Formats: sequence, structure tokens, C-alpha cells
Amino acid sequence: MRRRIPLILVLVTGIFGAVAFFIPHHSIQAADESMRNDVQRIIAAFSLVLGVGSILAHHFTKIQRRTANWQYSWVTVVTLFVSAVIGLFGGIDPARPGILPTHIGSFSFHMQTLYMNMMVPLAATMFSLLAFFMASAAYRAFRARNFSATLLLAAAFVLMLGAVPLGRMIFHPLPSFAEWILAVPNTAAKRGINFGIQLGILATSLKILLGIERGWLGGG
Amino acid sequence: MNISTDPWVWIAAILTLAIFSFLYRENPFYRIAEHLYVGLGNGYAITFYWHRILVPSLIDPVGHNPSIVMKVWLIAIAIIGALYFTRFIPRISWLVRIPIAIALGYYSGATIPRAVDAEIIKQLRATIITRGQLAHWDAALWAIIILVGVIVTISYFFFSAERKGALKPLSYAGIIFIMVGFGASFGYTVMARISLFIGRLQFLLGDWLGIIK
Amino acid sequence: MMNFWTKLQALDRRWIYLVVWLVVMVPLIFPFKIRPVATPPVQSLFNYIDTMPENKALIISIDYAPASQAELQPMLIALLRHAFAVHRKVGVLSIEVQGLGIGEDALRQVAAEFNSHARTNADSVLNGRDYVYWGWTTPYITVMLGMGQRIARVFPVDYYGQKTESLPIMKHLKNYDDAGILVSVAASAYPLSWINLAQTQFGIHLGCGCTAVSAADYYPYVNSGQFSGMLSGMKGAAEYEELLERRMAQTGMDWGLRRKGTEAMSSQAAAHLAIIAFIIIGNIAFFITRRRKS
Repeated sequence: MRRRIPLILVLVTGIFGAVAFFIPHHSIQAADESMRNDVQRIIAAFSLVLGVGSILAHHFTKIQRRTANWQYSWVTVVTLFVSAVIGLFGGIDPARPGILPTHIGSFSFHMQTLYMNMMVPLAATMFSLLAFFMASAAYRAFRARNFSATLLLAAAFVLMLGAVPLGRMIFHPLPSFAEWILAVPNTAAKRGINFGIQLGILATSLKILLGIERGWLGGG
Repeated sequence: MNISTDPWVWIAAILTLAIFSFLYRENPFYRIAEHLYVGLGNGYAITFYWHRILVPSLIDPVGHNPSIVMKVWLIAIAIIGALYFTRFIPRISWLVRIPIAIALGYYSGATIPRAVDAEIIKQLRATIITRGQLAHWDAALWAIIILVGVIVTISYFFFSAERKGALKPLSYAGIIFIMVGFGASFGYTVMARISLFIGRLQFLLGDWLGIIK
Repeated sequence: MMNFWTKLQALDRRWIYLVVWLVVMVPLIFPFKIRPVATPPVQSLFNYIDTMPENKALIISIDYAPASQAELQPMLIALLRHAFAVHRKVGVLSIEVQGLGIGEDALRQVAAEFNSHARTNADSVLNGRDYVYWGWTTPYITVMLGMGQRIARVFPVDYYGQKTESLPIMKHLKNYDDAGILVSVAASAYPLSWINLAQTQFGIHLGCGCTAVSAADYYPYVNSGQFSGMLSGMKGAAEYEELLERRMAQTGMDWGLRRKGTEAMSSQAAAHLAIIAFIIIGNIAFFITRRRKS
């Protein structure tokens, strides 16, 4: 029963989802609309519990067991709770504040302020580190050991130079050639690869619906 | 130079430099900034999940909708959604499979027919050479190259037969197309990564230090 | 000499980081003048929005998080400026919850730009009349399929908490039929989901603004016509900004608006040359040391 009920549910909802695409009858479409707007939406809202719960469980375990760098886990936990309280009770739009005041004089600590001045810089900078790691990897690991690798490098060089206006100054047709590489051989290769990927996704989706693929059930 | 006097710009700049300090070596400032980001991201998500999903889609309709059938229906869905909490109760953790099954099943079923049309049929149609493309020599040539390229790329990934006879040159031609495609992706990936760093420097040099306008 | 090449191969990566930092920073402070030239996918998207029927709206989907905002925010701002400059209604939504705030910031910035130059109420850009920020909801399948039927059902309240149906703009923007094009500005595979779900069922025209990482993968969809145009990374944003500036100049809107995408192109060019140099030097060192060893 622990596995049979979910497998039956996945089959029934899957068939419903597929059938709704083919049948334009208003009763099916109304049921599909309710499925999406009510069922899927509310269930998705509760799915946040999994993410937040897992993070809290992970960090509380670190704190409890005093594992390496456990002190930093307090930063995550405290920030999570403080920002959630500010957001839940302080409102979303600074022009329409909630019951919690979110400013001291002209200093605002509204959710939007925290977001723009803390979250955005943190996220953007975290990902900008990739530029350095990529440069280091390009220097250390990118070797033209054989014909394939050399061809890859050559295409990359053409694209890198052709993508910036400097390319036109170096060799006038270079940007057009770079665009041609993207529009013709790159398109052919990506399309061929994509056919394989999509057929694989379709097969896996069907296997999930039919209960052949059961990895999503987990153990037990 | 026109250094900002806004305290929040300074906070943003300090956090930015804290993350960049990782490039020299790992340090407590980086760690604190990293953990701040995780906490803030989750707090932000909780805010909007509550204000923009649960309140307008569940709490307000249950509170204000006169239809008792609608109220019961929404509460039933909420109970199914609440089964996500059972993930943390080992004895009944299998119940978490129910909301997952409903979400996964519907999504898989809805996307199968649509993906067949969009990703297979339309893409196949775009690969086939049409009379209109043959009107101009360059469009015709590129269309032929794309058609040949797609065929040889697919043949490269055909591992069910030994690479001899006709399959060998086809696979080799496929590698050429694939390497050009990956080279294009790499070149653009370099551009993307550098762009992300440029964005941060535009903030530090512009909004914070006022060196660039 | 051999020692030199071996040492070069084993160079501390922090020296590489320093070179990257300088190569990007110096051209930002001392830029060289660059005029980007639009590539065909960018030109296609620009032309499509520019020639959209007057009764059709532009819908923009913010499908990215702050991590990619350096590449994609200039695109979003350019698209908003274009729509307001040609007096088209705009509907904005977000598929990514973390993209909400940057979307709101972009709308506020562009609305302020236009309102600071407006002489009459008709010239102004007003929330609820000229644009609507629907905000975010989940899951994305609900959004992409639901908006084809009734947008107000998908977003009962907008980002600011106002009842969506009460907004004047919603009389003219009920579903995809009222939109000329939907542009997905995305850092992940959401543009493909828009094709699979929204375009397949409802036939809406789609455009794509994507990070350069994804751009090469999306060219098959530009080729097939499933995307009516595409902006690839910061370069794509710079090209669009160039087209937009010329377009706005035609109607007397020479406002000298900031073009963050174009500003970045000097640094982009210098960085690309640096990366190419790194690869070449790394390979020379590798082959020389390998030959000496053998």
C-alpha cells in the first residue's frame, strides 16, 4: 500500500494531464484548470516545507553535534528566522507596510531593502567567482591534445572574438562567421543532441507514469 | 571619485568583497556571507510563499468563499499538501509520496504530448529542406549542412552497432559537428562568466566608489 | 628555460585571478568607444516588438534569480524601455521567486525614467494602466497553461496585493490572445518550457533573453521559428540597447539613458583576449614540457 497508492496516483494524474491536452470539452478543461490553480498550487506551496525543513534539520544537527564550522550554522538559522519574520509581518511592498514596522527613521530594513542590498549582491558575487575559476581552468586544463580538442578550441576562439565588437576591428567578417557557426553547425549539433535528450525524457516520463521507474519513491 | 554615503550600499559592497575574499583564500568573512545568503534566500521564499500562494489561494478563499463545497475541497488539498511535513516523522514518512505523486504525475502527463510536438515534430519539420529554402543558394546550402549535421550527430550517439562500414565516416563527421557546437558553447560560457564579474565591478566602481558613471 | 615553462604551468592561480580582475576593471574605468552591431536574432526580436499591433501587449517573464542579474537585467530594462517608448502595454511576471525583487526594481527604474520626461498624463507610465506586475506564483505549469485561459485566475492579486481584475489594463490583457509576444528572460531552461507548454497549446509568439551559457543551445529554436528572436547574454543586451537608442532618437527621446550592457563591452573584449592568451600560453607550456620529457 505504501508504494501502490502513490503509483496509482501518479498514473491517474498523469493520464488526466495528458488527456486534458487532447479534449477541449469545457468540463475537462474546467477540471484541468482546478487541478492546476487549486491542487498543484497549494501542494507546491507546501513543498517549501521540504526545502526549509531540510536546511534547518541540517544546520541544527551541525550545531548539536558541534561539527566543523558549526558556529556559522547559527548565522543561517538566525538570518532565516529574522528575514522570515520581517517578510511575513512587515509586508512585501514598502508602500504598503504590514503590522511590523520596517524602518528606524530613514533607515529601512524592509524585505525589499534586505533583498536588493544583501541577497542580490551575495548571489551575484557568488556566481561571479565562476569567471575566475573558468580562467584558471582555461589556463591549466584546456589542452589541444588532438584534432577534436583543437577544433573545439578554434570554434571557441572564433566565438569569443566574434562576440565582441573588437572582433570586427581584428577581421571584419569575423562576427558574421561567428554568427554562422552558431546558426548552422552549432544548430545541427545541438538539434541532434536534443533529439536524443528529448526521447530519453519522454521514455523516462512514461516509465514514471507506468510505474516502471520507481526511484522517486525512495526507500521503504 | 564620489563614494556613496548610503549605508545599504556600503553593506552591499562589504558583502561583495567578503565573497571575493574567497579568491585569496577561504576565511570567516566568506563563510559568514555564504551562510547569510542561504538564510536570506529561504526567508525571502517563505515570505512570498505565504503572501502570494497560501493567503490568496487557500486562506482567503476558505475564509470568505460562501460555498461549503469549495471550502471542503481546498481544505482537503491543504491536508494533502501538509503531508509534506511527514517527511520528518520516520514512522509515517511514506505519506510524503502522495503529494509528490500528484505533482510528478500531472507534470509528466501534461508535458509528454506537448514535448512531442514542440521538441520532436517541430524540430524535425525545421530540419527538413523545403522548396522555399532552395530559392536562395546560401539558405539552401546552410539547410543542407544542418540536415547532414543532425543526421551525423545522431549517428555518433548510435552505440548499438559496431563502428564500421557507413557508420564510421558518419560518426567521425558527427564528432566534427559536436566539437564545433561545444566550442561555440564554451566560447559563450566564457562570455557569460566574465559578464557576471563585470556586473559586480560595475556596482563596486559605480554605485559604491563613484569612479565610473 | 625548461624550468621557466614548468614554473609557468604550475603558476599560483591567484596570479591568474589578479590578471582577470585588472583586465576587467581597467577598461571599465577607461572604456573605449564601442558601437555594437545587432546580430539577426536580436534584430528579429527588436523588429517584432517594434511592429506589434497597437492593441497587443508585451508580456515579459522574469525567469532568473539575482545570480544572473548582471547579464539579464540590462535586457529586461531595454525591453521595458522599448515597450514604453512605442506605447505598448506591458505585463510582467516572474517564474522564479528570487527574481521578484529585481523585476520590481527594473519596473520602478524605467517608469521613473519615462515619468521624469513626461509632459502630460498620457506620456506617463502608470502601474495598473500602462503596465501590470503580476508577480509570482507556482508551479510554473500553472502559470504557463493558466495564462492562456485567464490571467486573473492565475494571478488573483498582483505583486503589490491589488486585485488583478480591478486594474484597468486587465480589460485589454485577459490571456495570451491579447499579447503580441511573450519574452522569457531566463537563466535556465524555462524558455523551453514556455515553448512546450504555452506555445504548443496556445500558439503565442515567444522571444528569449538568455544567458550566454544557454544561448548556443537555443539556436535550434530560433532556426525553427519557435523563438521569434533571441538576446544572448550581455552582448545581446548591448546590441538591443544600440537598436533602441536609435529608435528612441527617431521619436525625439534622446534621453542619454544608461546602457549597462554596452558599458561592459570594453571589459568583455579585453577579458576574452586575456582568456585566449591564457589558453595559448598554457598550451605552449604544456607542449614544450611534454616534448622535453619525451
